[in-house]
Amino acid sequence: MSADEPLVRWDWIAGHLDEVALRVGEHLLLTVVAVSVGFVIAFAIALASLRWPRAYGPATWAAGILYTIPSLALFALLIPFTGLTLLTAEIGLVGYTLLILLRNIVAGIRAVPADATEAAAGMGYTGAQTLWRVQLPLALPVIVAGIRVATITTIGLVTVTALIGQGGLGYFILLGIQRFFSTPLLLGAFLSVALAIAADALLVLAQRALTPWARAR
Amino acid sequence: MTTRGATVEFRDVTKRYARAADASRAVNGLSLTVGAGEICVLVGPSGCGKTTTLKMANRLIEPTSGEILIDGRNVLSGDPVALRRRIGYVIQQVGLFPHRTIAENVATVPELLGWPAARVRDRVGELMELVGLDPSYAGRYPAQLSGGERQRAGVARALAAEPPLMLMDEPFGAVDPIVRERLQDEFLRIHRALGMTVLFVTHDIDEAIKMGDRVAVMRAGALVQYAPPAELLTRPADEFVARFVGADRGLKRLALISCGELTLREPPTARAADTIARGVGFVLLVDGERRPVGWVNRARPELGADPSSPLVTRETRVKDALSALLAAGVATALVVDEDRRLLGTIALDDITHLLAERA
Repeated sequence: MSADEPLVRWDWIAGHLDEVALRVGEHLLLTVVAVSVGFVIAFAIALASLRWPRAYGPATWAAGILYTIPSLALFALLIPFTGLTLLTAEIGLVGYTLLILLRNIVAGIRAVPADATEAAAGMGYTGAQTLWRVQLPLALPVIVAGIRVATITTIGLVTVTALIGQGGLGYFILLGIQRFFSTPLLLGAFLSVALAIAADALLVLAQRALTPWARAR
Repeated sequence: MTTRGATVEFRDVTKRYARAADASRAVNGLSLTVGAGEICVLVGPSGCGKTTTLKMANRLIEPTSGEILIDGRNVLSGDPVALRRRIGYVIQQVGLFPHRTIAENVATVPELLGWPAARVRDRVGELMELVGLDPSYAGRYPAQLSGGERQRAGVARALAAEPPLMLMDEPFGAVDPIVRERLQDEFLRIHRALGMTVLFVTHDIDEAIKMGDRVAVMRAGALVQYAPPAELLTRPADEFVARFVGADRGLKRLALISCGELTLREPPTARAADTIARGVGFVLLVDGERRPVGWVNRARPELGADPSSPLVTRETRVKDALSALLAAGVATALVVDEDRRLLGTIALDDITHLLAERA
């Protein structure tokens, strides 16, 4: 970086708008796939943990281990098996969402008032009807809180996947570091933060729309 | 909207628990028959098995042995989910679904049964009126209602599919005494109108006496006495029942008798004060419509009419008449009709005789 180089070269950004759109798209896709797949897996484990409570301890323990492995180390471990692929990136990203999602789904369902589930059973709801029509809707605020944390975390982590060639906004950050060029570096960092804030706001709005009762007092 | 009540029969029903901690909830060889349209109150100290008994009727708890028959059919052989949809269920914490509006809550069972939307809507309106909830509450969430209003909504929800049997587990236990009394009265009115059979659990003997056609007193998982409230109070089966109904059971019995059941006295009356001859005793001054004005002392008619005798009606409970007498500090109550016309009088002596003769 030369001394007369400005911190941000707007002309460079203006000339790379297509690239910006592409990387934002990749970043979003990597995030959405990771959180969605993570949610499906966490949901299945959560249901199993509610049915067999003894499974919950080992499940959170395993998810906790995944959560503590540094992302770069995890990619390095996976590359011999899955290569520099999207799969490698997603395995890592999904792994990081599991602990948060699992904990919040289970905590949310366990926090449903016992009188509501007892009334449901007493009026002739089957177990599945109680789950889908009473427990899950009531657990939604806590579950969405988990999805928000998982989404923000994932959006931050996706910047790392550029290292294994899977694109996303990390591409700009990497480019900036490699070329000692502050413009793409700042652009990548700024956009990933903006994306996290926007995604969080969207989830808050979605939750408010889905749980009008939670604000009724 | 009349519902025929179902008969309920427990035949030698036993529930045992493997864990010692649950043992207090056990039930031993309980046999009990509830007639169609009756309110049967299960009462007893905590841990006597009354709630366990109630929950066996809709199989939220499965009996270890014995039979439970509703309208002669053993409920233990069928599908528990279908069974529960035919039985109304009300619990103390109400258990309204916080994420559904009052109308949606009330519609729960009709929707489970697949009623058409228009019929569900009509039924919800009908039920909210029946339990005294303003139609504007339909779109509110449970958190926006008071405890008493939530309990009304809970009763409406339980009544939705016109169940021939209702199970109520301390339904009015979580509201304050004034609201509880009103909810009890309203429920009795609804019961008179619909005629369903009710199994009602409470630990409050006063509530049991007020609500029950028959009261089942339970202790340690067994039935101690099963009798109409008056019999429970006059002839408690043993020392336990006598203690449980309380030392004031004589007074409690007065709550079961109305003033109209007593032989009314005919007091001497006069239309105008100046027609009263001087002498000994009191004369009741009445107006042209025979409405009481007050007592005139024959010895000193110049003092005028004393209006301090309380007015009661034939429907007034004797217990309430006694309270009114004690509060007014007089020995005679005036029984009047709905137009306040004199029917007769009740004296404190009549009430004490009542206690003596039925005890």
